[in-house]
Amino acid sequence: MALAGTRSAGQAALALAIALFLGVFLVVPVATVIYVAFTEKGGGALTLINFLDFARTELFVRSFWNSIYVSAMTVVWASALALPLAYLTTRFEFRGAMLVQTLGFLPLVMPPFVGAVAMQLLFGRNGSVNLLLDEWFDFKIGFMEGLNGVIFLQAIHYFPFILVNLSAALRNIDRSMEEAAQNLGAHGLRLFRRIALPLALPGYIAGASLVFVKVFDDVATPLLLNVKEMLAPQAYLRITSIGIDDPMGYVISVVLIVVAVATMWASALVLKGKDYATTQRGGGGLARRKLKPREQALAYAVVILILALVLAPHVGLLLLSFATVWSFSPLPDGYTLAHYARVLGDSSVYIKNTLLYASLAAGIDVVIGGAIAYLVLRTKLPGRQWLDWAASTALAVPGIVLGIGYLRAFYGVNLPDGTPLATLWIVIVMAIAIRRLPYALRAAYAALQQISVSLEEAAENLGATKARTVRRIVIPLMTGGLLAGFVTSFATAAVELSAVLILVQSNSDAPLAYGLYVLMQTPAGRGAGAALGVIAVIIVAICMGLAQLAADRSQRARGLDI
Amino acid sequence: MIRLSALTVGFALGLILAAGAAFAQTGKVTVVTSFSKDVTDPLKKAFEKAVPGATLEVQNRNTNAGVKFLEETKANNQVDLFWASAPDAFEVLKSKKLLSPYKPKATGIAEKVGSYPVNDKDGFYSGFAASGYGIMWNERYVKANKLPTPKEWQDLATAPYFDHVSISAPSRSGTTHLTIETILQGEGWDKGWRTTKEISGNLRQVTDRSFGVPEAVNSGQVGYGIVIDFFAFSSQGAGFPVKFVYPSVTTLVPANVGIVANAPNKAGAEAFIEFLLSPAGQEALLEPTIRRLPVRPETYAKAPAGYPNPFKDKNLQGLLTFNAELSESRTAAVDTLFDQLITFQLEPLKAATKTLHDVDAALAKKDNAQARALAKEARDLIAAMPITAAQAASPEIRAAFTGGKEKSSRQAELEQQWAAFAKEKYAAAKAKADEALKLAR
Amino acid sequence: MTGMTMSKPARAVGIEIADVNLSYGSTHVLKNVDLTIHPGEFFAFLGPSGCGKTTLLRLIAGFAQAQTGRVLLDGQDVAPLPPWRRDVGMVFQSYALWPHMTVAKNVAFGLEERRLPRVEIDRRVAEALDLVGLTAYAGRRPAQLSGGQQQRVAVARTIAIEPKVLLLDEPLSNLDAKMRVSVRRELRALQQRLGLTTIFVTHDQEEANTICDRIAVMDAGTVRQVGTPMELYENPANLFVASFLGSANILGDGDGIAVPAGKRLVFRPQHATLSSVDGVPLRGPVTHREFLGATVRYAVRIGGSEILVETPFQSGAELRRVGDTVGVALPPERMLYLPA
Repeated sequence: MALAGTRSAGQAALALAIALFLGVFLVVPVATVIYVAFTEKGGGALTLINFLDFARTELFVRSFWNSIYVSAMTVVWASALALPLAYLTTRFEFRGAMLVQTLGFLPLVMPPFVGAVAMQLLFGRNGSVNLLLDEWFDFKIGFMEGLNGVIFLQAIHYFPFILVNLSAALRNIDRSMEEAAQNLGAHGLRLFRRIALPLALPGYIAGASLVFVKVFDDVATPLLLNVKEMLAPQAYLRITSIGIDDPMGYVISVVLIVVAVATMWASALVLKGKDYATTQRGGGGLARRKLKPREQALAYAVVILILALVLAPHVGLLLLSFATVWSFSPLPDGYTLAHYARVLGDSSVYIKNTLLYASLAAGIDVVIGGAIAYLVLRTKLPGRQWLDWAASTALAVPGIVLGIGYLRAFYGVNLPDGTPLATLWIVIVMAIAIRRLPYALRAAYAALQQISVSLEEAAENLGATKARTVRRIVIPLMTGGLLAGFVTSFATAAVELSAVLILVQSNSDAPLAYGLYVLMQTPAGRGAGAALGVIAVIIVAICMGLAQLAADRSQRARGLDI
Repeated sequence: MIRLSALTVGFALGLILAAGAAFAQTGKVTVVTSFSKDVTDPLKKAFEKAVPGATLEVQNRNTNAGVKFLEETKANNQVDLFWASAPDAFEVLKSKKLLSPYKPKATGIAEKVGSYPVNDKDGFYSGFAASGYGIMWNERYVKANKLPTPKEWQDLATAPYFDHVSISAPSRSGTTHLTIETILQGEGWDKGWRTTKEISGNLRQVTDRSFGVPEAVNSGQVGYGIVIDFFAFSSQGAGFPVKFVYPSVTTLVPANVGIVANAPNKAGAEAFIEFLLSPAGQEALLEPTIRRLPVRPETYAKAPAGYPNPFKDKNLQGLLTFNAELSESRTAAVDTLFDQLITFQLEPLKAATKTLHDVDAALAKKDNAQARALAKEARDLIAAMPITAAQAASPEIRAAFTGGKEKSSRQAELEQQWAAFAKEKYAAAKAKADEALKLAR
Repeated sequence: MTGMTMSKPARAVGIEIADVNLSYGSTHVLKNVDLTIHPGEFFAFLGPSGCGKTTLLRLIAGFAQAQTGRVLLDGQDVAPLPPWRRDVGMVFQSYALWPHMTVAKNVAFGLEERRLPRVEIDRRVAEALDLVGLTAYAGRRPAQLSGGQQQRVAVARTIAIEPKVLLLDEPLSNLDAKMRVSVRRELRALQQRLGLTTIFVTHDQEEANTICDRIAVMDAGTVRQVGTPMELYENPANLFVASFLGSANILGDGDGIAVPAGKRLVFRPQHATLSSVDGVPLRGPVTHREFLGATVRYAVRIGGSEILVETPFQSGAELRRVGDTVGVALPPERMLYLPA
């Protein structure tokens, strides 16, 4: 009895620490900013009148439905892109699987601004593809027009998320499930559709709901495509208007947060009782068969086609970084190394800062995310679900709101020598970390779900305390999932801009994304901005590769590789 | 023993602080600016050369982020100067008491450039340069689509330009706001809005940041852009196939600098302003990467041939005395009217405009009085405004945006009213235009 | 189990496994396996963990490929047929019920794959569930059933398709002891009723003995002996079979008795009796005595080994004491000389 008491005391302490962390770095800063939504301008009393106005404004209602539409369609298209690749890599002995795994991640690493510029140059109304189509066939395709343009870019950007999720879910299927179906007469696509996909669905839904929320709350992409009639851009535009202290921007922020929480909650509801992962014993995934030569050719063709599409932004970025002038033509007028020469000098401090910030942020995310996942899945503490939801709302908070909130909350706090706390670069790290926390959290959650409780109970039975069990059993088994979380957090943290823009106080503290932003303010800076973007992508890709290598090695050393 | 060391420490601290004050005029000068590196780097170098011992620490932010930053950090302000184009940002900072007044000692600076007074009448910020607004276009785009070369603002409202023009929203670009306000003051409220809407009916897009327009023209996404001149010239300097023209009635917009309240290095900040207004500083503005218009008339003697001179060139003189107070009184209303009537109703506006262009084309072939009358009615519907000039400047409307007690309705209500107004009018206009088209064909 | 409306297959089918060798990389898992299974037989693959019995079963089902040899089902080589065309119903050790489908849908699966008309499917599902006594659970999900019920669903799922052969992979290992006894009887009864050729993989000799017609005893990839339970018990062909099925005493020439070269003397505890030492070649001290109610078990050291002798207990009889030297008498026909 006493043992149970101390056990739950330790858990409660952990939960409290995390709640404090979230409170200080998320809830309080955001609250100081969006409380405005609940007061009438000029008055001070609490009121919901602004929300009523929101519902009565046709522009906002239209934006709301546009956002829902775009988010849903993004999930659909990203899945459509991911499904063939997931099928090929989990079902067959396919050499291209390695290619897919390494390159398939890149779309997630897209620096702000330049990515959209590159895509416009390739797929815009007068971009490479359309210019050629118009010349040869006399028609154009509106890839980048309006809402469809947003869906196009977002689907490409978030496709890796769905791919990783779907593949992992397929790989977790108990082999005997498939064999039983084969034994009873099913095979091929029919088997995949009737057995593999339904069993993979829960894992898939978890990832898809994250994508839905992220797209719903994305400000940068719609604005860069000049689409303003969506909810998140509307919030941004209003919050950043000069001279008008408009509560509606904060009202919309509240709506964004509510939708995010509702989506998470709804998906949890749908997934309840469908935790197939935990009821299955074996894993082992689908049996892989070899591809016949003709099938191999087809498979490679599909993979290359899809990869070409999702890597188009990077191709465009690369071209832009070497281009002298690229205007209203399928390809640049000429090529030069001058842009790289220009940025190589300044970029070392940006690179150092980016690596530092992104690693710290991702590290913090993995620790906190893992801890929250553990508390939610392994303890019975009351209210632990709130930690999950609170952390997940970080997705929905616009970067600028968080930035302003940090200034409000931390600028008043001074260090002994008089400098405000908010000027320290650690505050930038915390902002980045909080914004990426949901990725790591979901990855940790999924990883922990796969581990049977009996594995931990066996350890405790043999004398290990809960803490030692976590260290020696749980964490090693979760490594794969934690790594996936670290990598996603890292990759997206490295290109974070919106909160950084408010918080950066000197060039020496600036990460790559900021340097890029500064360059993109002038016509002459476009090539250099693209060069910096390419450098950012390469660095992140290298780090991700190293992280993967390190984890693989440690897994192999422990005999845990699958 | 302890007291002696405390005394020593206190003495040493005192020395350091005093020394610090002595160095204050030089030392670090921190500026928050929305100007790009192309502008800040050369000026920083020139300033540090002109004032030995001073270093300029540049924090580059977009204008609204800069304003928000100053607001949030006012309790322990670490910034000396705010340096940007948009005068509306300075007005906001002034109204929030985030600026310190300063009267520059420099002589030989003009009182007005174009229509605008160079300095804030209350002395909270000073103009140091000006720029002109004009039309920029992409040669390849124009050639490929066989489009005309623009000369005047009115050209942009004609049929060939339909769906090829870009502008940034006045609510997002202080300088664009001034341009629109100049049109409203020059032509009057109703006619001014009519002109604005006629041009807007040809828009391809309304961008949310100033740089979005030249960027789109540079890439060839859009054919024509209403831009500040230095964007066009730096684009040409970077090799883009673009051209630029000042219309015969050009607006000049100022660029300003102001000292932030409770600046840590007030002396250094003042030195910077003096430098900007000094002959050396004003000459630096002529550099091709900067290419702003100095406010010191004598500097133009050093300018290359053909360099626009607002003190000599007829088209840059400005039509009237710009009424800054009037502008300020209706800033929020004008911004919001533009957004609610144009930015967020662009599709319906364009639809009606397109049909009217078609009507005109049909009428050119075969005239039809009835169709002509219907077209005029449609145009009147488009040009209709939900509020008058007087209302726009009224305390009631103003208070809706500030949350004051006099407001008649809340901002959101006003916005919804105006949006609904526009929607209705444009739909009616389209209906009339359709009728006219049927008759004309 | 109730009701008996499922028809017997037109003709029960035999299985022939000829000269099969199977390796995974460098591990030789099945070595020269030769087996014939008669139509309608309830046949067991019996052996310790790792002996290859499950691999052999999966070979028949098509989930493993042999490097040499053939598997003939009803005289046809099955090698060219993928698992989904072999028509052999397999019940997996984990049952492998699909959690996203109801019991009825699980059972209907194979029928749907065969594109039978809906009416026919419904009928056969109802029959199969009836046969295993789970009609009332048709609408439940597997997660809502007990282990025993899940196993029955797995069985119903395979018999619904009326396969040629039934393959059971350790079907009882996840059930508690009491259930095992009743379920194995039910399985036997079901098999009899349907007349299906059935292969039953197990490591438990009691299961094999009680319900199977013939058993193949396997060890390290080879089939050590095939026969009826009684044959294997009475006439084990080698030491492994002798000690795997029932208890066996093994003596060699190191224990002071004469055995042919390369052989050992093997006999069962209950076939020996304790006698006086005179003229009896096997003799030695009693080292241990256990009273088991119906029998008494003595441990006797002979030479370097210890053997067990079980004698029926008669009340009032005098028991030997530990330390007494006794002779162990063995009827000649109970003496088996088996290769080492």
